[in-house]
Amino acid sequence: MKKIEEIIESGTLELYVTGALSQREAMEVEDILEEYPDVKKEVEKIEATLMNLSYDKSFTIPDSVWEGVLNSIKGVRKLNVPKKTTKLPMMTGWAAAIVFLLGIFWMLKENNTLENQVQVTSTQNAILKGKVTTTEEALASSQELLDIIRSKDYREVNLPGNVAVSPESYAKVYYNDDEKIAYIDARGLPTPPSGKVYQVWSLIMDPLTPRSVGLLDNYESTDNKVFKLENIPDPEAFGITLEPEGGSESPTLTQLYTLGMVSP
Amino acid sequence: MNQPDELILEMQQGSEKAFAQLYEMYSRAIYSVIHVILRDNDLTEEVLQDVFIKVWKNANSYSIEKGRFYTWLLNIARNTAIDKTRSKSFKNANKNLSTDNFVYVIGGHNDLNQKTDAIGIQKFVDKLKPLCIKLLDLLYFKGYTQSETAEELETPLGTIKTRARNCIKDLRKLTLQEV
Repeated sequence: MKKIEEIIESGTLELYVTGALSQREAMEVEDILEEYPDVKKEVEKIEATLMNLSYDKSFTIPDSVWEGVLNSIKGVRKLNVPKKTTKLPMMTGWAAAIVFLLGIFWMLKENNTLENQVQVTSTQNAILKGKVTTTEEALASSQELLDIIRSKDYREVNLPGNVAVSPESYAKVYYNDDEKIAYIDARGLPTPPSGKVYQVWSLIMDPLTPRSVGLLDNYESTDNKVFKLENIPDPEAFGITLEPEGGSESPTLTQLYTLGMVSP
Repeated sequence: MNQPDELILEMQQGSEKAFAQLYEMYSRAIYSVIHVILRDNDLTEEVLQDVFIKVWKNANSYSIEKGRFYTWLLNIARNTAIDKTRSKSFKNANKNLSTDNFVYVIGGHNDLNQKTDAIGIQKFVDKLKPLCIKLLDLLYFKGYTQSETAEELETPLGTIKTRARNCIKDLRKLTLQEV
């Protein structure tokens, strides 16, 4: 305690307040102030005394001074907040860092999601491409069929339904004499029951000689119901019967669905 | 006086409200210091304004751990005011002015001081010892260092502190009676 009194009585604090001490001495005072509240109180008293030197209740500074200060500081200050004196900027810094990290994680996650989406999309793309290809192929084959039907090399043979068996049925045959090729349009035939298959016959009428020209296999899975058959012997007529799977040696006439004559 | 550390921190973080409160607390004392140097109301107001603009702009160069806020203010005020004495406008306004210290000004020895008693210094002056007046003038108003003061007063360096102590002690008694 003696040390405190010595400091107070020395006059060092008075010079400290007026700013007359060297930097080194001022720093020494700072250390003492932190340690001894009584010394700090003394400093506060000295400061108050000096400030009271100008104390006068009747005297006021014109408002214009403060207004001038306010006007010129608007938007002027750049905030270089000191590190030691406040924790707020540090906390703000940490908060910003955390937000930044969260942002990165979010973006990574988002990136992942996007990559997944890209994968899904490219899969869908591949599927769609496949569909396009299929459609193009279908279109091409349709185009080919159309070309064939329209061609002068092919004859159109109508095969109306057999009234006794299936009056609603009908079929069409496009037949090329030279190449012995026939396209059977079987869209007018009912879907064959399982275990059964349509068989196409070429007929010579006199004497009635049926010759098998082929089976309409995979009737259900063939979309356009057009079947190409080759090596057709010279026919006078075409007939289609429903036969057991694998076909028959000779047509089952009770199951003759359609029959049509080839015009000479 | 008790230093309002909270307000100072708020001001440093950009609070104009805190700054306004600090102005309320300190402007009058700072005004008197400037006035003693410049002895002119208009110039004093001008410099006071400059001082507080500087305080705002340089708020972060002050650190609570490195000294009193008031001492920091004093330094800015004295430097700004002394700079002003070198300006043309000051020289024109004070052509015939020659004064040694604040008492001379306050004592009514020149034509410019008709309003100076308004800042309230005069009432203490008569009661202080001449040496004390001289010390206050150099240390407080003019911002002399310890060795500069010793040189100016032609006294040993070691006696400045003790004399300052006694002087402010006397002043304290006077101001406490008054306030």
